[in-house]
Amino acid sequence: MDAVRIPSPRGTLRVWQRNATIFRKYWKTALLPNLFEPLLYLAALGLGLGAFIQAGGVGGQSYVQYIAPGLLASNAMFAASFESTFNTYVKMKIERVYDAIVTTPVNVEDVVAAEYLWAGTRAALYGTGFLSVLAVLGVVFDEPLIRSFWAILIPPTLLLIGVMFSVTGTLFTSLIDRIDLYAYYFTLVVTPLFLFSGIFFPITDFPAPVPQIAWFTPLYHAVNVCRELAIGPSPGVLVDVAWMLVFTAALFLLPIYFMRKRLIS
Amino acid sequence: MDFEVRRGECFGFLGPNGAGKTTTMKMIYGAAIRTGGELTVAGLDVGREERAVKRRIGVVPQENNLDEDLKVKENLLVYGRYYDMPRKETLRRAEELLEFVELTEKADAEVEHLSGGMKRRLLIARALINDPEIVVLDEPTTGLDPQARHLVWERLRELTSEGKTLILTTHYMEEAAQLCDRLVVMEDGRIIAHGSPDELVREYVSPEVLELRAGKDALEKLLPLVEDHSDAVERAGEALLAYTSDAGLLQDRIRDSGVPVENTLHRRAGLEDVFMRLTGRRLID
Repeated sequence: MDAVRIPSPRGTLRVWQRNATIFRKYWKTALLPNLFEPLLYLAALGLGLGAFIQAGGVGGQSYVQYIAPGLLASNAMFAASFESTFNTYVKMKIERVYDAIVTTPVNVEDVVAAEYLWAGTRAALYGTGFLSVLAVLGVVFDEPLIRSFWAILIPPTLLLIGVMFSVTGTLFTSLIDRIDLYAYYFTLVVTPLFLFSGIFFPITDFPAPVPQIAWFTPLYHAVNVCRELAIGPSPGVLVDVAWMLVFTAALFLLPIYFMRKRLIS
Repeated sequence: MDFEVRRGECFGFLGPNGAGKTTTMKMIYGAAIRTGGELTVAGLDVGREERAVKRRIGVVPQENNLDEDLKVKENLLVYGRYYDMPRKETLRRAEELLEFVELTEKADAEVEHLSGGMKRRLLIARALINDPEIVVLDEPTTGLDPQARHLVWERLRELTSEGKTLILTTHYMEEAAQLCDRLVVMEDGRIIAHGSPDELVREYVSPEVLELRAGKDALEKLLPLVEDHSDAVERAGEALLAYTSDAGLLQDRIRDSGVPVENTLHRRAGLEDVFMRLTGRRLID
């Protein structure tokens, strides 16, 4: 009875369209805080803390140059995490949007896949905004923050990062029954990843097993890819992309299974 | 349980809360999985052909689950997309349906500003967007005031006259009597009676009811006499309900006995009596 459910592209598109229809109404107000937050980090840490970091910076880059691409990755993580936790929870349990959708020819698996894709879309949209701001700031202050044309691959990368974090966020959502439990997800998963994924300092310089542990976490690879695309990538970046694809694919069906159990009695 | 709904009829599920009405509806539209048995809708197996079944039915759920992030008309337009309807057709149909449920003026209103009756009507319009053969309604008028309820009933009657098949649950006997061609009475997940409203009244209760209200002692005295002259007697608090085919005769006998009765009500038996006899009140006879 509970066979593996593969989402249909048609149903996935329909639910994605629903989210897009609503987003079109308030994207301007939604976009702003998401631009300010990484800019605040950039100002406080990049300029503030950066002033104490000796000349030469990190690996030949100034501190601002070093952290800016990493903030692109973490911004995508935050956008997708909010979307797949609080927003999904409200749609599922409070507004009962999914209950209504699954009585149409759209199934639970389509709904979940659409939410992954939507979180990725949002992450990419916000990230593209932030990327443009970084490019402009680099010109204005004559200290290029985005130095390679490979950076045009950053938006699709942010889409992948968004989908990846939506899968983990939705997995958590599919298992909890109280909205306040998200405090655990954010303090035990999202925040540690934000701090220890090589955004603010090179994690690989730490003694074992810190770099090894970092290798097994998703944001570490996301940061690597964004940074490399910003300065011109080495072939090693393919490993990071492959890591994210495998991780996403491995977990993809798990939230679908649990969400189905919740929505179909 | 075993039931069959005919094309074009209005079929009702009656039963107390917890009898399994909603679960049965959910099985029909795929929101609950049956643990055994067979269920086909429009000739399609519900488990194997889930999407095809859902394409042919419309669902009015018990709890309002309109999309509050969308305006009234947008709710219908977005819903039409779930059925892959062309945009133009959805637009035309949405306008027709808003007219049908008398919400045309509210087309651009926020859903949260609608009254309970309007929300229910919008749910009905939403369930019709794909022009379904079968409409499943789970307690379509629970919580509505009488005006709103009658408006919903009118609309549902129009649907049956258009040839749609309606399957509804209710615990309002009047609703069942007004709308249903045939119905089943459920209790504890089983069907305990089935038939048309008239058939059920004929089969399970006598045509007339005499409700006698009196003090406790008077009721005790009356009981043997009433039992002798009726088909069945029920006791409900301070009243006796006598089911009989000749209420006149019984009234005469009661008058002759000289026991004081505070209040007598003579009425025709209805579905409510069937329902109470089958699922509720303890019987004395």
